[in-house]
Amino acid sequence: MAESPNLGIRAFPPPPRMVPSSSPHPTHRPAPPIARRLPDYALAVGVVIVAVGLAFVVVRLLPHANLSLVFLTGVLVVAARAGLGPSLLASGLSLFAYAFIFTLPYHELGVEADSDAATLAFFLIVAAITGHLAVRMHREMQSNRAALARVSKLHEFGARLSSAAHADEVLDALTTHLERSLPGPLVVLLAEGGGTPVPRSCAGVPASPAADEIAVAWANPDRGVSASGGWRFLQLKTNRARLGLVALGAGRLSPEQLELAASLCDQAALALDRIRLVGDLEQARLASETEQLRSALLSSVSHDLRTPLAAIIGSTTSLLEYDQAISPEDRKGLLQSATEEARRLDRYIQNLLDMTRLREGKLVLRRDWVDIRDVVSGAIGRLRGTFDGLHLEVHIAPDIPIVSAQGVLLEQALVNLLDNAARFSPAGGRIEVSTRRAGERVEIEVYDEGPGIPEAERENVFAMFYTLSDTAGSRAEGTGLGLAICRGIAAAHGGGVTAHAGRDGRGTCVRLSLPIIEPD
Amino acid sequence: MNETQAHILVIEDAAHIRKFLRISLETHGYAVREARLGSEGLELCAATEPDLVILDLRLPDMDGLRVIPRLREWSQVPIIVLSVRSEETDKVAALDAGANDYVTKPFGISELMARIRAGLRHRREHAEEPKVFEMDGLRVNLPRREVQVDGTSVHLTRKEFRLLLLLIAASGQVLTHQQILREIWGPAHEGSSHYLRVLMGQLRSKLGDEPARPRFIRTEPGVGYRLLTEEP
Repeated sequence: MAESPNLGIRAFPPPPRMVPSSSPHPTHRPAPPIARRLPDYALAVGVVIVAVGLAFVVVRLLPHANLSLVFLTGVLVVAARAGLGPSLLASGLSLFAYAFIFTLPYHELGVEADSDAATLAFFLIVAAITGHLAVRMHREMQSNRAALARVSKLHEFGARLSSAAHADEVLDALTTHLERSLPGPLVVLLAEGGGTPVPRSCAGVPASPAADEIAVAWANPDRGVSASGGWRFLQLKTNRARLGLVALGAGRLSPEQLELAASLCDQAALALDRIRLVGDLEQARLASETEQLRSALLSSVSHDLRTPLAAIIGSTTSLLEYDQAISPEDRKGLLQSATEEARRLDRYIQNLLDMTRLREGKLVLRRDWVDIRDVVSGAIGRLRGTFDGLHLEVHIAPDIPIVSAQGVLLEQALVNLLDNAARFSPAGGRIEVSTRRAGERVEIEVYDEGPGIPEAERENVFAMFYTLSDTAGSRAEGTGLGLAICRGIAAAHGGGVTAHAGRDGRGTCVRLSLPIIEPD
Repeated sequence: MNETQAHILVIEDAAHIRKFLRISLETHGYAVREARLGSEGLELCAATEPDLVILDLRLPDMDGLRVIPRLREWSQVPIIVLSVRSEETDKVAALDAGANDYVTKPFGISELMARIRAGLRHRREHAEEPKVFEMDGLRVNLPRREVQVDGTSVHLTRKEFRLLLLLIAASGQVLTHQQILREIWGPAHEGSSHYLRVLMGQLRSKLGDEPARPRFIRTEPGVGYRLLTEEP
């Protein structure tokens, strides 16, 4: 059998689609040249020589034994190991040796006994059959081994892909696996945003395919495997989308290699598509969060910002309209109102800014040594007017240490807690601020006698934009930012905020805890 | 003004807003009572029978929208709603629940005063049932169904006249689309606001009123219409 000259023609088979890698294609590999099979023929000769030697021994020990079986065994061995050609050679040689040495007339090629003649005829037949079987077995073994190698490669590839979280990892895996399984240079091209694919990764290549070659290959997706110039293009696509191309620079590839390349490409395309989908989802989630933030900001503008504005505009227009008709104390009161409400407005705006910075992770702490007493009194001072008609109690443990924190932020966190407490308090309700040392932490607790937070909601209230749904018919909704900011600030300081039931199970207790850092 | 010692109940949780309301109202000679919570407001209302209620829609203990129907169970006191909500639906909901008018926060004090005057007048006129209505060039003789604009007689169809009557009866307070539709076409047509737009267009053109620069009837976008009995 000669080397198949038609390999070049068979290089462009119909596009191989996802071939189940566990079912190897029947292979029709042309027989290797005789030169490469020389050892096999040598084996045939050697086996026959051994058989002759063995036959001499057997004939000495057991004169009546059927020596043809010795040669037959030799032929079978050769057939099994070396295939058809060598087995035929072995059977010819065996025939010759047997006829020449062991049959009557000895040392001539004549065959006398009928049984010996039959034996010799069967030599040839058996040699042909077993040789053929052995060759088939051989081929199947080889193709099984190749399939196994392919499967394990695909498996390894699949494992790499499934753990890939980024398109670059997929491209890396694809490039290295293609490089390992195929000869020649290769380029992986990805299409971004519906355009023509651009090279993203390559192996063993000094240059990529020309742009027009890529464009042609991209424009003719139905050809699957296409060729233009020196490159062979494979498609990276799923049923959902076309993602890119793989350009292979090797001149000649076997159908198995192409098939393997196609399966690698298909798997990579699936992985790329998955990553892209995940990215899309993440983007959609971000977009919806941004949307939520925007609507929260809007509602915040219309509620929390407008209430102080209403007081400011109301107070100032009253002053403008009725000026002299208002008593001096009342005039002062109106001016105070306007000022305090303007400060409150400033607080809200600060909150919004803090929240934005916390969200973007841009909050950089400027720590300093802070006395909790100052923080508490600062927060209460900023909330003047909020506690009208409420009883505010402050308990600060005498052994409270100073903490390392950014005072302004800590004060903001406490302002948010106190503001909430006041907002949800009934008329004449008691609000208590209590700070104490608890092990390695400082705890600041704010108690109120409001409706309380159901146990199931106590974690949720710290989520951004979360507001308790219609507690007891109250519409005292906020922006759903205050507690989230509070938690963000606490976390930035290495502390935390939790909600609990208030005193005697009534109302709410929110506990802000901070780690104690000893001054150097 | 003859509104001295009218009692006004302010139900509002924001202390600073209560403060300027009290100061301004007292400066105008009204007697003011304040409530921070809805429940408190309802109790005070029952105990003191105010002439007008100013109600914030956002209260700590209950939704202001729920205060209105409970008040309406036994009282026809005019209610002016304060709302920070810019959404028309809330205003309409409050008006449909029985509130007489609304002011959107933030507001200038004169705007609120105009609403209060309209509300108090409405209450008084209900008692008196005047026979002739007059405002800034518009004169309506109610029993004789005669309408004059700047001394010139204007002929109105029956529906147009009923629409004008409704606006006069509300006396400067806002009327929602639904209220007008219900009154003129019946409850089955509350959704047919295009009837109202057409009728309002006819009435305005007969009165020589330009919607863009209204002299008599102002459109409250998304809510309804109001007769401009005085400049706000």
